[in-house]
Amino acid sequence: MRKLLLSLCVLATVPALGAADPKPEILVFGAASLTESLQELGKAYEAKSGTRVIFSFGSSSDLARQIQAGAPADVFFSADTARMDALEKAGLVKASDRHEFLSNSLVIVVPYDSTLKVSTAEDLLNLPRIALADPASVPAGIYAKKWLMGLGLWERIEPKVVPTLDVRSALAAVETGAIPAGIVYRTDAAIAKSARVAFAVSNGPEILYSIAPVAASKSPKAAEGFVLFLAGPDGRAEFTKRGFFVRDAGRP
Amino acid sequence: MTADDFSILLLTLRVAAIATLLILPVGILAAWQLARHRGPGRTLLETLLSLPLVLPPTAVGLLLLEALRKSGPIGQFLDRAGIEVLFTWKAVVLATAVMSFPLLVRPARTAFEEIDPRLLAMGRSLGSGPVSVFRRVALPLAWRGILAGTLLAFSRALGEFGATIMIAGSIPGRTQTMALAIFQRTHIGSDDAAMRLVGVTVVIAFAAVWTTEILTRRRTKRAVA
Repeated sequence: MRKLLLSLCVLATVPALGAADPKPEILVFGAASLTESLQELGKAYEAKSGTRVIFSFGSSSDLARQIQAGAPADVFFSADTARMDALEKAGLVKASDRHEFLSNSLVIVVPYDSTLKVSTAEDLLNLPRIALADPASVPAGIYAKKWLMGLGLWERIEPKVVPTLDVRSALAAVETGAIPAGIVYRTDAAIAKSARVAFAVSNGPEILYSIAPVAASKSPKAAEGFVLFLAGPDGRAEFTKRGFFVRDAGRP
Repeated sequence: MTADDFSILLLTLRVAAIATLLILPVGILAAWQLARHRGPGRTLLETLLSLPLVLPPTAVGLLLLEALRKSGPIGQFLDRAGIEVLFTWKAVVLATAVMSFPLLVRPARTAFEEIDPRLLAMGRSLGSGPVSVFRRVALPLAWRGILAGTLLAFSRALGEFGATIMIAGSIPGRTQTMALAIFQRTHIGSDDAAMRLVGVTVVIAFAAVWTTEILTRRRTKRAVA
């Protein structure tokens, strides 16, 4: 027992010493669809500013909920404006700090070797199941639902929906081959290894991302610096490379 | 194993160890009291303490989240004291501690109950006070149960998922333990990276069980001698 106690004490303390790192750090909560681009830009920003950027990726709705519960995020990058509006209303971000310059579009993906013919939205009706980021809360799912509602197809498609935690899990579900099709962003399809685009949505709802530093951040300077870096030329170049649509009309 | 895998492992071991150390004194005392007292209050208390074992971990997580959110009863107090808990490593410790608590208390209580009451009475008649009887008679006799409970609690803490994701999220480098990382990697389709962590957990589980065996065996030998 004494030995066990001793080993527990060692485990409880030693790794903490190893983790000591004087570098300043900010924690960025980012929509799952931004994973690769933000990781790239985080490294570039660390090289440029000396501030390490660490990320937590997930559905924007889940991340916003965590911030509302008091999660120590410094920056929030949402895949829609509604989550950001909610945080603004709760006084957790300032309206003047928000930047909205990033857009995306939806695509229907199928497993790479799929022989299914999905060339119109109506073709979705013939499928048994469709993977979708949870349309009750996750932006990618909400956009997809809006699009299908506009076409009058939602009521017939809804029973087929397999809701997932975020857009990347919808993609992963299709990539395993278990679900014959899914609706994701075009930028997600671009990083897919075993899924391909079957149909690109051209008449979907407007997709607009929103980024802002979190008001309660303990490193407001670094948080703002990173936001401006993303909204600046480096950020824009990276996002464009990944297939996002970058708007000039974003607030400064 | 990549550097990321390694830091996830260290974080997991660290929070599980801290959680176990935190519940150890409270859990042993609770087990001792439960073993000694009878009456209607005892059953109620016992049931309450065992709830985390039976409730879905996400339910426990939500209860903790409500209690700790800034507007909640405990959250307000912590906020004023300037202590951040939710979605930090402290929340992981809290979630794992709450979920592991009954696993420590139950075997420890059984061990205390199995002590021959005459031995305790003898201790008292020899002039020992209640603290001394507990420390010198009860604790040494109940060692094995406490040991088993401690290892059970630690193992449970290593794998805690449901309550943790509710109050600590899954923030890489901060709150993402092995169980959370396996889930996160799988649901974004990085099955290979997830499988690597599964390999690590198998090794750890093996080591934990092996250690338990060795520790308890030595215990038995000494008890016989």
